[in-house]
Amino acid sequence: MNQLHKIAIGIIWLFCYLPTISVTAQDSVKQAPSVALRYFVHNNNIQYLLIQSRVKVGKKFQAVPGYPVQLYLDSNIAENLVAKSITNINGDAKVVIPAVLKDKWNASPRHTFIALSGAEEDLTSIEITKAKILLDTTTIDSIRTLNVKVMFLQNNDWIPAADVEMKVGVARAGGILPAGEEATYTTDSTGTVTVDFKRDNLPGDVKGNFVLVAKVEDNDLYGNLLIEKTVPWGIAVKPDLHFFDQRTLWSTRFKTPVWLLFMAYSIVMIVWGVIIYLVFLLIKIKKAGNEKAAPLKIVPGKVAVSD
Amino acid sequence: MKNTTTLTSQQITLDLLPQKFGRRGIIWTAALLLIAMVGAFAYYRQVRYGLVVTHMRDYVSWGIYISNFVFFVAISLVGSLITAILRLANVHWATPLTRIAEIIAVSAIVFASIIIVVDMGRPERFLNLMIHGRLQSPIMWDVIVIGTYFFISLLLLYFPLLPDLKILIGLKEKPGKWLNKLYRFQGSFWKGTADQFRLSDKAINILCIIIIPVAFCIHTVTSWLFATTYRPGWDSTNFGAYFISGAFLVGAGAVVVAMYIFRKAYKLEKYIYEKHFEKMGRVVVLLALLYLYFNINEYLVPAFKMKKPEEAHLTQLFAGEYAPLFWFAIMIGMIIPICILVFKKGRKPLPVFIAGIMVVIGAWFKRYLIVTPTLLHPFLPMNDVPESYHHYFPSWEEWAIAMGSLAGALLIITFFARIYPIIPIHETISENESTA
Amino acid sequence: MEDNSTSRRKFLSAGLMATVATVAAGCSDKKNPFDKYAGDDVKASGETVKLLSVDGQIIEMDKAFLKPVPDLPHLSNSEERKGIEGKKFVMVIDLARCKNVGACKTSCNHAHQLNPGQNWIKVLEMQDADLTAPYWQPTTCMHCDEPPCVKVCPVDATFKRQDGIVLIDSDRCIGCRFCMAACPYSTRVFNWQEPVLTEEVALMDYSCETSMPQKLGTVSKCDFCPDMARKGELPHCVSACPNGVFFFGDQNEDSVTNGAETFRFSDLIKDKAGYRLMEDLGTKPRVYYLPPVNRNFPFESGLENENADDRMQHSK
Repeated sequence: MNQLHKIAIGIIWLFCYLPTISVTAQDSVKQAPSVALRYFVHNNNIQYLLIQSRVKVGKKFQAVPGYPVQLYLDSNIAENLVAKSITNINGDAKVVIPAVLKDKWNASPRHTFIALSGAEEDLTSIEITKAKILLDTTTIDSIRTLNVKVMFLQNNDWIPAADVEMKVGVARAGGILPAGEEATYTTDSTGTVTVDFKRDNLPGDVKGNFVLVAKVEDNDLYGNLLIEKTVPWGIAVKPDLHFFDQRTLWSTRFKTPVWLLFMAYSIVMIVWGVIIYLVFLLIKIKKAGNEKAAPLKIVPGKVAVSD
Repeated sequence: MKNTTTLTSQQITLDLLPQKFGRRGIIWTAALLLIAMVGAFAYYRQVRYGLVVTHMRDYVSWGIYISNFVFFVAISLVGSLITAILRLANVHWATPLTRIAEIIAVSAIVFASIIIVVDMGRPERFLNLMIHGRLQSPIMWDVIVIGTYFFISLLLLYFPLLPDLKILIGLKEKPGKWLNKLYRFQGSFWKGTADQFRLSDKAINILCIIIIPVAFCIHTVTSWLFATTYRPGWDSTNFGAYFISGAFLVGAGAVVVAMYIFRKAYKLEKYIYEKHFEKMGRVVVLLALLYLYFNINEYLVPAFKMKKPEEAHLTQLFAGEYAPLFWFAIMIGMIIPICILVFKKGRKPLPVFIAGIMVVIGAWFKRYLIVTPTLLHPFLPMNDVPESYHHYFPSWEEWAIAMGSLAGALLIITFFARIYPIIPIHETISENESTA
Repeated sequence: MEDNSTSRRKFLSAGLMATVATVAAGCSDKKNPFDKYAGDDVKASGETVKLLSVDGQIIEMDKAFLKPVPDLPHLSNSEERKGIEGKKFVMVIDLARCKNVGACKTSCNHAHQLNPGQNWIKVLEMQDADLTAPYWQPTTCMHCDEPPCVKVCPVDATFKRQDGIVLIDSDRCIGCRFCMAACPYSTRVFNWQEPVLTEEVALMDYSCETSMPQKLGTVSKCDFCPDMARKGELPHCVSACPNGVFFFGDQNEDSVTNGAETFRFSDLIKDKAGYRLMEDLGTKPRVYYLPPVNRNFPFESGLENENADDRMQHSK
């Protein structure tokens, strides 16, 4: 009986313990952040990668600040280290390819970037084919057209890239205003996109320029490509130099409306003028009291009572 | 009823001298001090923890501190009414009341400023008003006018006090070492020469003339703190006149209360007699009718239109959550005093005193009804805020501070009456001699 | 072969010098080469780093630009009061898309470390008339062109900038709450108690543009996130909304974006009959609303996220 008792209790203990094990296991699985790698090329020149670390808390993804990530080019060896980075408060880190990897970079049109964080396993990797994006404009019969061409590198040749989705438009604060009707355009078999520029009378900068942009976002093969071109197609927007000159009720204290200044100061000056005059009268009374006095009187002013 | 027995100037002087506190006086002062100290402790809590100790929140962001402020500013107009207007109109029966009115005005203005600083979220930054002040803001106008009115009221208290100071200094029985020093410091240069009287009369005349427009300004500008906003109940062109008429009414009520209490406490029946109550009763009735007229304009006209933002607000005042308080304030503050004072029997001292108290209490609640219910009816619905934001009832700290400020104002008046004669001795003597 | 290699090397080095020269020249101005439209000039650190371009050239660049979000130079109080030159920020809120998800509130409250009970964005349950349909209306500060709050501030603690934004200087505010009484949109909140801040935020230097750290006894409100605009990013609410309800942009550029879609501002207002709240008060708000026509979600689908206190108000 004793033995059975012990076994039974042991089994009960196990039952109680197992769920807690699985729960803690869940927690530890939850805590491993996932890392996203994004590759960017600007104007066929500057390239960089963005490392974004996130962890799922409940239903939402939260940034993981201070997460160390090492990035390697093609293989996980010390010579191919691109950078050691630590994510910032938003969980992001920006990494460029250092000059020392120049020969390795030029060796092939395709590369793989491997990210890991100290541990043995690779966190994530992306494969990039070098690509370039070109933006050209033509004006025929006052109809302006944008021509965008995407090409990727194969051996040493540039091949047109088909089926690449991109946004084509005008660079505005925070986004790209589509040049035509569509939100996105896709390259055809010749790797080109042609867009009629439909935005008339669009404001530009002070000189009437604005920047045309073609942007490929998060393409599986080529990453993010961006090309910009400044054109003088906009309306010149004069800067508002006189904003702080206007005198209104909502201006600062230095720009009070003149009528208010006039009213307030005249009322205050009149009333305080009178008050100052009264203080002056008080001083006069004081002085009158200090002279060798005439006989004392009780009745106010008019009737003189002689002593 | 005229005073038939002629009084000698010595008699008058003796009667009107400031008297030491009797037992009632000490109990009164002690009670006021206690209330004031509780208020001070409540303010300490507010400074330490922030305005969260009040029950003001994001919607009702102005509570009884502001309604108390408006109440004090309203009462302070009594100085211009009794002292200035009646003096300019050569109304001689009002002479004994001038100093009472003036000290009520000064203490009310002082506490109006104090309660406004209490209401500030950052009182230590008060000087920002001087360094960074914007003239476009109605608050700046209020600061300027309150400061100006304070100085004018102080001068209007000081000039007529000079002859009395001389009497106090010249007493055979010195009132006390420190008091005597005070009197000497303030008025030893006053010799009572014809020259001095001429200058003093001129000064008082000028003061009486200038204080009237400044008094109008002070309460109009205070009303503009509300009328320059868009809110229902505040967005009214009527506010300047409405507030001023209310101010005159509550000021007159306060004077009536004060004169009854002083008469009883200092046995001044020979100087404040039934005729004064009769006349002041008439003044109060007149002002109450005038205030009632402005109230009708203020409430009936929007109620006729029932514009959407105002509909909820007015319904709440007339028939909703605030209806009991609203009708209480109207009845107690205007209607019942009118009914009492319209009759000759109602203008005896005691009924006038009761009517005066009702007017003051009704006025305090009326100011509360002007400030808070409007804030509970914003244009947009109150969403995404904690439940407590939908209501307002002052916390104990707010009550303590509000009562403390009232106690403080009464303390100033009490101490003033202890130090200076509450009825002008010299003027009473000269009036007496001119009628004899 | 040798000739070839030397000439190639010469060409490459010449090309390299040229590239370095041009890029260096391009880098001499403080605009972020990664994101030329970021807005303000970046605070250059002086240290440079060598990096590879796509075609294998070596570029030299200031290290400051390598931060994902570059540091901007510290702004003085008078610069913060002037605002960003040449911009006139405007917001368009599409009521047809709002489902009362509340992500705007959560992200805004989190980004500015607001206390519980404080919401700079309030999603209101609106119903214009008894028979019209109810809808959800996210309400931010309107950043009016004739702001009643600025008119009444006695100490210039709240002010209108040239970029249209109305900001609050919590170092100057005296806590009189006149602005709260004056605002017809009831958009301002007050710090009745000491704000609960993380240690990091509490140690920050106060900046009007970030509105952090919040101070006891002062007023605060939606600020259109000018610190984000200077970095070329959109305000937190705009980025956080999963349904793309908020559109933010520059009226001078005539375009607004919700991050994913960008429209021409004048076209959007015209095509979708945009309007402003309480137009007849004359405050000239800078936030436009697109009426809830052809809604994406029925009103009831937002009730599940309703504030518990608001639900209680319904049942009364």
